[in-house]
Amino acid sequence: MTTEQLKDYIASRFPVMMTLLETGRREPMYEVKAGQLLEVCRALRDDETLKFNYLCNIGAVDTQERLEIVYSIASVPNRLRLDFKVVLPREGASIESVQEIWPAANWYEREMWELYGVDVKAHDNLKRFLLPDDWDKGHPMRKDWDDPDFVRFPEIE
Amino acid sequence: MGLIKKLPVYSEKIPGGAIVTTSLESVLHFAQAKSLWYLLFGTACCAIELMCTGASRYDFDRLGMMFRASPRQSDLIIAAGTITKKMAPRLRRLYDQMAEPRYVIAMGGCTIKGGPFYYDSYAVEKGIDHIVPVDIYIPGCPPRPESLMEGCLHLSEKIRRQKLLDWQEK
Amino acid sequence: MMGEIRTQEFIVNMGPHHPSTHGVCRLMLTMDGEKVMKVEPYIGYLHRALEKICENRTYHQCIPILDRFEYVTAMSCNYTFALAAEKLAQIEVPERAEYLRVIMLELNRIASHLIFFGTTAMDLGALTPFLYALREREYIMDLFEMTCGQRLTYNYIRIGGVAKDIPAEFVPQCREAIKIIGKKVPEYEGLLNENPIWKARTIGVGVLPPELAVAYAASGPILRASGVKYDLRRDDPYSIYDKFEFDIPTRPNGDVFDRYILRLEEIKQSIRIIGQALEGLPEGDIKAKVPLKFKPPAGEVYSRIENSRGELGVYILSDGTDKPVRVKTRGGSYNHLQLIPEIGTDCLIADLVAIFASFDVIMPEVDR
Repeated sequence: MTTEQLKDYIASRFPVMMTLLETGRREPMYEVKAGQLLEVCRALRDDETLKFNYLCNIGAVDTQERLEIVYSIASVPNRLRLDFKVVLPREGASIESVQEIWPAANWYEREMWELYGVDVKAHDNLKRFLLPDDWDKGHPMRKDWDDPDFVRFPEIE
Repeated sequence: MGLIKKLPVYSEKIPGGAIVTTSLESVLHFAQAKSLWYLLFGTACCAIELMCTGASRYDFDRLGMMFRASPRQSDLIIAAGTITKKMAPRLRRLYDQMAEPRYVIAMGGCTIKGGPFYYDSYAVEKGIDHIVPVDIYIPGCPPRPESLMEGCLHLSEKIRRQKLLDWQEK
Repeated sequence: MMGEIRTQEFIVNMGPHHPSTHGVCRLMLTMDGEKVMKVEPYIGYLHRALEKICENRTYHQCIPILDRFEYVTAMSCNYTFALAAEKLAQIEVPERAEYLRVIMLELNRIASHLIFFGTTAMDLGALTPFLYALREREYIMDLFEMTCGQRLTYNYIRIGGVAKDIPAEFVPQCREAIKIIGKKVPEYEGLLNENPIWKARTIGVGVLPPELAVAYAASGPILRASGVKYDLRRDDPYSIYDKFEFDIPTRPNGDVFDRYILRLEEIKQSIRIIGQALEGLPEGDIKAKVPLKFKPPAGEVYSRIENSRGELGVYILSDGTDKPVRVKTRGGSYNHLQLIPEIGTDCLIADLVAIFASFDVIMPEVDR
């Protein structure tokens, strides 16, 4: 299946739930509503033509206006790859865990809980693991995070 | 008298051999400088160069340096790699577990002043010298095995120049 | 009358400074005698905030930072980032540059597998393989040094091509090096394959079933040792790998022994690829024209390649300025370490060391 065929198939299979984004011109990037995340993920994994059974990556992005959670998934039997994202508000961001669909999501979700402050619902092990145990300075990967000890790279012309 | 290089000795021939006199200090420090056993403490990139130095081509053993896995058996800790804020208390603890006299080599830019992670990093300790006292700094990212070996030779020179009373004051 | 002997579970803290955890990983083990009942990995002792640093650097400045993300195969980190940036800006890379990249990537894969071979054998109590493997690795280090001046963190593969051309003596010396390594691999096999102690410690230990491997997104040699034939060089092709002839070895059992054998097989395949690439190396430019103030158009892309530890991915989000909004890296070890609690329970503590070593986990890839 080529990228164009995959785009067509997604458009016919998920006409409402997945919308193609402008930023995905180079590689298709879809948006999924936070409320439909689990439903879409389950369908993507169980669909016979797609079978996205392999989770490559989950990354959180802070664009200063909102938080985006980007999921990169792949299909081992069908040799496909797909990206989609969920857009969340910056304050009180909360998302469903996709652990039951792809168990590999466990640590990725833990990481975005720790570094970005995204609350992950129904996650079995939300514990600090990258930062020191006694860390109390907030979520350092957010763009507006600052600390007296934090030295910014000087601008060089 | 070149009995052992640079060791101050006085020798006098007697029938059937010779009497050699030297100071306890120089013998003790000579022995110490020639058998520095280092703790196998590698955290990041520099650890691979530390491994290379210990292996076939560079052969650390010929300087009398052998790696030990336990801090109790080692004289020297080569801090090879970035020390983060989470790791810093552990480094201090390993240092405290070593027996006196003990020495520290800071290997690579990260251990000297944070290296490439000085700017924009919230997690890296900017220099290990405010956690443990450092004897030798070896710059580089990572330093070549040759420069690591030179640093170790400098350390043995430093040990040879020590005075016995220095220890007690420490 | 003897009373009933009562036993008690106890907790052992393995790491963060432990010789067999390859860096600074801490495993909390709940033990019943010699038997491991529960493993819980604690990471973050090498969390250096590489991703945060990349957000405040220009695209060209990100490449040396990402060298430190996976230093054993730093070439592939350079390459993954360059690949993502090239996809964003749609840069055509000259053919000679692609050949040079493939040669460097495969040399780096061999160097990494040699480290694996040496350290794994050392963890299981054999010191000789370590000395042998690092002896041969130095041939590759010499090649890298004459090309880019560094032994470990190369900063060689840049956006649009490579930093500089190879010197004239590279090609003959590279031929010589792969010839020597090709001869030494059977020697390594002779050291360990039929060794009864080695077999007793590795065969049937840490079996990873294929379903579990896919569910936890294991990749690279770990996935292929469990019998899943999935190699991104073939299945999600990048660069010019479609021009070369090579096999993708798989193994049926998914135990420690299979993972070890598979990596030695991969060294042989890498040697084949390098031989073909040296044969077909064309003349021409080594770099496309990329401005110093490189500003890719707004967009986002996730690129992934097959490195010696599995899938290495870089996600870049660009907003059209000269700095990326977000760089997210994904290393194979991150997922493999998650598998330790799954397959590391109900085994002996010595087996756990073998399992950990066979995953070839490298900590900066996990902690970043």
